[in-house]
Amino acid sequence: MSAPIAIKGNKEGLRLMLAEDAPWDEVMAALRSQLERGTEFFHGAELTIDVGDRAVQDGELSGLLALMHEHGLQPSALATNSREGRSAGRSAGIATRPTNRHVPTPQPSGETDAALMVARTLRSGQVLRHHAHVTIVGDVNPGAEVIAGGSVLVWGRLRGTVHAGALGDSSAFVCALELMPSLLRIADTMARQPDQRPAGPETARIKDGQIEVEQWEAGKTRA
Amino acid sequence: MARVITITSGKGGVGKTTTTANLGTALAMQGQRVVAVDADIGLRNLDVVMGLENRIVYDLVDVVEGRCRLRQALIKDKRFPELFLLPAAQTRDKDAVSPEDMIELCNSLRREFDFVLVDSPAGIEGGFRNAIAGADEVLIVTTPEVSAVRDADRIVGLVEAFEKGHPRLILNRIRPQMVNRGEMMSKEDVVEILAIDLIGVVPDDEVIVTSTNRGEVAVMQKGSQAGRAYTDIARRLLGEDVPMLVLTDDQSLLDKFMGALGLRPRRTVR
Repeated sequence: MSAPIAIKGNKEGLRLMLAEDAPWDEVMAALRSQLERGTEFFHGAELTIDVGDRAVQDGELSGLLALMHEHGLQPSALATNSREGRSAGRSAGIATRPTNRHVPTPQPSGETDAALMVARTLRSGQVLRHHAHVTIVGDVNPGAEVIAGGSVLVWGRLRGTVHAGALGDSSAFVCALELMPSLLRIADTMARQPDQRPAGPETARIKDGQIEVEQWEAGKTRA
Repeated sequence: MARVITITSGKGGVGKTTTTANLGTALAMQGQRVVAVDADIGLRNLDVVMGLENRIVYDLVDVVEGRCRLRQALIKDKRFPELFLLPAAQTRDKDAVSPEDMIELCNSLRREFDFVLVDSPAGIEGGFRNAIAGADEVLIVTTPEVSAVRDADRIVGLVEAFEKGHPRLILNRIRPQMVNRGEMMSKEDVVEILAIDLIGVVPDDEVIVTSTNRGEVAVMQKGSQAGRAYTDIARRLLGEDVPMLVLTDDQSLLDKFMGALGLRPRRTVR
């Protein structure tokens, strides 16, 4: 693994993968900067910490957990293959389980950041959080929240709050058949609900540091 | 096979208790054996709306805690021999009962009745969870207000998460004249947001207030539009195909005068 940290998601939820060989300080620094960039994404998120074969020490793990709690994360388990890791997990009071990160999980068409598709209406109070792109076939009702690391595509009415590029990707966009979110964010930029009901499908993206909304035109080439 | 139906809403004051009392009475008038269960423990109301408050000896918590037999706590409505009430305790709170208790209670009631209607408390906490624990079906009551619809949407999500199937919607207290003027959400607006099946629309009706105060429900009042709407919902619950009531305006004097002269067609809301 090249990067010191990586965030993955699957059916069981989010997984924070820490490099097995990189120096611990480097891993922590990378995590800190990632958490600072994606505050909104991480707040209240549950995830599994995966340290692989690294013999993580008591002090290292407690520092890691403290940093995560500081950013509102809720680590639910420690995935570790080492005896030291299991013992550190026990003294920190977090559940441990083995990890098989070297077994490649099948990815569709070689993609590593699998997009998520959800075919239902998101209702008030429901939160959809995913580290990559999200497609929703259905409505996002007022009071519902979508938080995605990548772009958000809604085949329906988007009336709740949406945060695309929540891990810091300012090239992410949001599009919907009816784009009327009560709050729209892309990376660190924010926009309020439009006053008028849109006439048709629209796309919101960042241009010159501001969120711009444009109508969907068939045939137009897009970045 | 008995059906346990929970009536809930999320927001308070939208008409859950009135709906429970009216549907219970309407079903009993159709010859069904019905028990209305007040699951709003600590804020007992259903007994008052049904006019049975001075006959309570034992309540739901007494049954759950084994201080009396189920039969002893059931209050029979004198006007309708097929209608019973299981009142809530007024001196306890929601924690006196668990979801398991409610499932057991609903299952015992199933043996005696065709319909068990559970009147849920407002909110999404323990009381609501108790109320839907034993339900086969859920009816969600909302009024055409943004806040009530938002809460109803939250409830739909929770009901789906508890795997209680697809809840159905009762839109209460609609005022056709205000809808026509564009000042109130229409039936279509509400259904568009909630995306669940509508089982009835109940117009705003003063009879609800006067009848509630007397402990008589609207379905017993001849000429009450709300009562008619509740009777229709009861028949739909029984599987009849009843067309939706066409609600007429509550006309002002001028409107009536103009109408009498034939100057203006009577407006209707579908």
